[in-house]
Amino acid sequence: MALIQLENITKSYESEGTLTPVLHGISFSIQEGEFVSIMGPSGSGKSTLLHILGLLDRQTTGSYLFNSQDTSMLDDPARARIRNKYIGFVFQAFHLLKRTTVLENVMLPLYYSDVPKKEYAQKAKIALEHVELSHRLDHLPSQLSGGERQRVAIARALVNDPKVIFADEPTGNLDSKTGATVMNTIEKLHHQGKTIIVITHETAAADYANRIITITDGLISSDKNVTAPHTHYAK
Amino acid sequence: MNLPSTIKTSVRALRANWARSLLTILGIVIGVMAIVLVISLGQGAQNLILSQVQSIGSNTIILRPGRQPTQPSDAAETLLTDSLKQKDIDALLKPINVPDLQAADPAVLVPGAIGYQNSVYHATVLGWTPNALGEVFNVYPEQGSFFTQDDVKSYAKVIVIGSKVKQELFGDSDALGQFVTVHGQKLQVVGILPAKGQVTAFNVDDIGLIPYSTAQKTLLGIDYFHEIFLRAKPEANVDQVAADITATLRESHNITDPTKDDFFVVTQKTIVATVSTVTQVLTIFLVAIASISLMVGGIGIMNIMLVSVTERTQEIGLRKALGATNKNILMQFMIEAIILTFAGGLLGTLIAITISALVSFVAQTYFALAWPFTLPLGAIVLGVGVSTAIGLIFGLYPARKAAAKDPIEALRFE
Ligand SMILES: Nc1ncnc2c1ncn2[C@@H]1O[C@H](COP(=O)(O)OP(=O)(O)OP(=O)(O)O)[C@@H](O)[C@H]1O
Ligand SMILES: [Mg+2]
Repeated sequence: MALIQLENITKSYESEGTLTPVLHGISFSIQEGEFVSIMGPSGSGKSTLLHILGLLDRQTTGSYLFNSQDTSMLDDPARARIRNKYIGFVFQAFHLLKRTTVLENVMLPLYYSDVPKKEYAQKAKIALEHVELSHRLDHLPSQLSGGERQRVAIARALVNDPKVIFADEPTGNLDSKTGATVMNTIEKLHHQGKTIIVITHETAAADYANRIITITDGLISSDKNVTAPHTHYAK
Repeated sequence: MNLPSTIKTSVRALRANWARSLLTILGIVIGVMAIVLVISLGQGAQNLILSQVQSIGSNTIILRPGRQPTQPSDAAETLLTDSLKQKDIDALLKPINVPDLQAADPAVLVPGAIGYQNSVYHATVLGWTPNALGEVFNVYPEQGSFFTQDDVKSYAKVIVIGSKVKQELFGDSDALGQFVTVHGQKLQVVGILPAKGQVTAFNVDDIGLIPYSTAQKTLLGIDYFHEIFLRAKPEANVDQVAADITATLRESHNITDPTKDDFFVVTQKTIVATVSTVTQVLTIFLVAIASISLMVGGIGIMNIMLVSVTERTQEIGLRKALGATNKNILMQFMIEAIILTFAGGLLGTLIAITISALVSFVAQTYFALAWPFTLPLGAIVLGVGVSTAIGLIFGLYPARKAAAKDPIEALRFE
């Protein structure tokens, strides 16, 4: 059973009476354990699609099964629960809380989970070990480099042990070298069994994926499996 | 999300803008401070007045001419009304009229000052009976003695003066037997009172006492009294005595309609009732004013919370993306608002208690007033409770706005 199953998804934004159609009918499924890269020109609807996949937004028409569950049946609290439990997000702009230490930033999703409070710090520390930032626990985001910040965000995304990680241009704010470290970190998670869906402009980043979906003007223009050049993150 | 971490998060957010937070709660601080202060000072003042009233003695009844004053002009009228005369005293002292009456001491207020040689001192000069001060207030001359009943009968030109009057006019030299001038008449000093300070309504140190007959005929040329102090027998029912007095006077004044009374009776009970009413009205009035300050403070809180919600749009979006429900976000901002107002309430209460304790300390130490400091528990509960309620009320709208934010819009911000 596919983790993600889309059937003819459309999305139109409505503002001040005018309807802006963005997605025109997207269908695909993603199995657990895949590493998918979504590419396409600016404005083609990649982020829009990712928001629907991440249960941050609802499609206008079409069906979306997540983990075999029809998401159109879910109310807001149920969607929040699924985001908390099964989904991790990584954003281009990191979105770390200022004035909050690295450790506490990573603990944030746990506040909204069923995890007992006494396990928060332990889980956050393990997540930070995965991104090799165990030595930065008490730093503030402002004291970190861009790459380090994004790795904190990745630790936050995986702290509650989700099934899938959605990343919207995770390397967009980073130089290519730092971007490579971040992509290596994400690939490492893939090797540990996480499903990864990354939006990216950069072919260098897309090279990590084993499937590339290209979107043009709200439609899938290509969907092909690739042999990732970076099959071993340790290269 | 559990409460302790929500509180921790809120406190951190507030601390990050501590100067703004402090300014925001100023309105609440002042409002709560005013309420607690009014209630606790009001209580202290009321206790003080009541303790003084009680020292008059519960069997003392005061009879005044005119109407029961309900407004300031009534008090002036009281001084000018000539309805209480010697025949009233004679009637009251008849046992068939007021069986439980023990004594009736008329009083005449003499306006003006006491002069000696070149000095003049403004004191309270009262025409009174020889025994009134001793029997009612237990104050007796330190030097010399009170004038006598014979002095009253003979319109003797004598005076008993308080210690301050003596000091001001005579300094350290001997006053006894000297002549002072009151209202153009020379009066001989026959007694000097000990320094006692305030005794109920009088400052005994600041007083001059002369026979009421002298005050009436010789000094003022009037035939009425300004006040009559009556004393019921020790075991008597004071309310009954007051009723008998009223009935007697209505009869001797030919009054059938009680609303046309040209006198009124004051007992300890009626004073206590009046004082309580006055302080209650005053308290309500001041609390109402303070409530306006609280309202303004609440609106300030709402305003700053709205700013905070806008500033933290991104944070809200992020929290939602990570699994926060609308309810979680609502709670977070509600708690933030309540912490703000609660802190304001607490601060205001602490300041008010400090001021109130200081006032009572100063009153006791420097003015020798029986002004006890009592921790106004009710006022504290009210102050902190009201401020918390304000957080709830004025925090709700911003918190709902925060909760309603669309996570995508919120994350797109910036
Ligand atoms: N809330 C909105 N209201 C109206 N139109 C919107 C809204 N959000 C996005 N759009 C429009 O939808 C289209 C797709 O936007 P989207 O952010 O999905 O593009 P994208 O593929 O992620 O582009 P980029 O690579 O630049 O991030 C754009 O034309 C955008 O203007
Ligand atoms: Mg985008």
